[in-house]
Amino acid sequence: MTEGIQNVSKPQIKVENLNLWYGEKQALKNVSMNIPKNSITALIGPSGCGKSTFIRCLNRMNDLINNCKIEGKVTIESDNIYGPDVDVVDLRKSVGMVFQKPNPFPMSIYDNVAYGPRIHGANRKDLDGIVEQALHSAAIWDEVSDRLKSPALSLSGGQQQRLCIARTLAVKPKIILFDEPTSALDPISTLRIEDLTMNLKKDYTIVIVTHNMQQAARISDYTGFFLMGELIEFGQTKQIFQNPREKSTEDYITGRFG
Amino acid sequence: MLSRNYKEKTIEWTLFSVSVLTVVVLFLICLFLFRDGLLVFRDTSLMDFLTGKFWYPTSVNRQFGLLPLFFGSLIVTAGAIIFAVPLGIAAAIYISEIADPRIADFLKPFIEILAGIPSVVFGFFGLVVLVPIIQNNFNLPTGQTALTGSIMLGIMALPTIITISEDAISSVPSTLEQGSLALGATKWQTIYKVIVPAALSGISAAVMLGIGRAIGETMTLMMVTGNTAVIPSFPGGFLASVRTMTATIALEMGEVPQGSTHFHALFAVGSVLFIITFLINLIADSIKKRYQFKVD
Repeated sequence: MTEGIQNVSKPQIKVENLNLWYGEKQALKNVSMNIPKNSITALIGPSGCGKSTFIRCLNRMNDLINNCKIEGKVTIESDNIYGPDVDVVDLRKSVGMVFQKPNPFPMSIYDNVAYGPRIHGANRKDLDGIVEQALHSAAIWDEVSDRLKSPALSLSGGQQQRLCIARTLAVKPKIILFDEPTSALDPISTLRIEDLTMNLKKDYTIVIVTHNMQQAARISDYTGFFLMGELIEFGQTKQIFQNPREKSTEDYITGRFG
Repeated sequence: MLSRNYKEKTIEWTLFSVSVLTVVVLFLICLFLFRDGLLVFRDTSLMDFLTGKFWYPTSVNRQFGLLPLFFGSLIVTAGAIIFAVPLGIAAAIYISEIADPRIADFLKPFIEILAGIPSVVFGFFGLVVLVPIIQNNFNLPTGQTALTGSIMLGIMALPTIITISEDAISSVPSTLEQGSLALGATKWQTIYKVIVPAALSGISAAVMLGIGRAIGETMTLMMVTGNTAVIPSFPGGFLASVRTMTATIALEMGEVPQGSTHFHALFAVGSVLFIITFLINLIADSIKKRYQFKVD
């Protein structure tokens, strides 16, 4: 995927020849990609193409799956995250993740956001400030500031998802991975999350998996197209959508399959 | 057509009457238990029964005081819970969250077998193995103590506590676990800060049902607690002999003349036991319902 590499001058995440197997089945085939700092990179492709598997390699969430084998190299800011002396806890602290379905913990709104800072040993008196700032950054402060002690599960789906984003921001990561963050949400909530991601990119590097091609076109700077475990094409979003190099990319984008 | 309809209806009614039978049986048990129990109050007042400190059913100056038996049951059950709850929850956490699935599959049948052992076998084991150990270690005149009963009862309540807690912990959605790990929490932080709190109502139900199991146990306790109807002191009472409500009924029922005050007093003890277990099951059930609601 030489296109991918030449497009990017200063990668923050550098993936080289990544192969992944679930048992016998190969889910990622020789994927290489350079993801630049402070940008939004969208990963698109039909179901089962490996895009979610790929994003989970970046914070090693695939470690949780039995008999999942990974080969290749993923470098984040010059550290090989699959190296022998890597602490997964530190990695996940700097690479946050927001999931497909909002998954707030069954505790109060405040405790949800404070969860990360608390386990990483934040000072008790700094906690209020961290929580308020994270909720501000996730554009949900105005809706919850008067009921921080109420259960997170009392929020609507869209609010829950923004709370999950706030929870991730509170840990102060450098990179945030979004795994189809709006697929369970209504259009208005989706729009709010999209606006939010575009605001976040000045401080964070964002990688987002999405089923929704309009979403990729609207918010991302770079787009990667996956098919059957391979990265078919990677480049600037404008180029991918207006002038794709590969036939299959064009077919997918124009809705001929997927 | 008509005959097919008729057949369907017959099957339906048969199954319905069988189900109703359980309700009828329960109702009849209540009826006879309470009817015979209440007759004791012809000779003893309710206050004397509930607050009496002495259970002397056969002496000249006979007294039917519930308290020694009630506190006997209480101290043995409390000891069992103190012993079994931490162990049971720890085992449930290990099986559902930490153990390799193969190890979990290996362990689970043993827990189920433990639940299937007859209580007289537990009692025999307690009498032959545990009683001498307790007697020697604490230098007691007899090893048949509340502590011995608590340990045996704890072992017997373990399968209930483990199985139901494990169900509760396993049904916590894995998305919560992933969410916690993705924030950089360790496996252990995830377990005690997210998974166990989320399963807490299920775990409480498990504990309540464990208590229910313990308080109704008879045979094992009769064999290992010494059966002395004296109000136990606390905490020294753990090393003294006690007699539970259940053991009292089992020991004395065979020897009382039917229709005597003593006979009715035993029924009254049975009624108290029934009310206690009924309440415990009710609480466990309501906790369980709340927790199912929460998981959805």
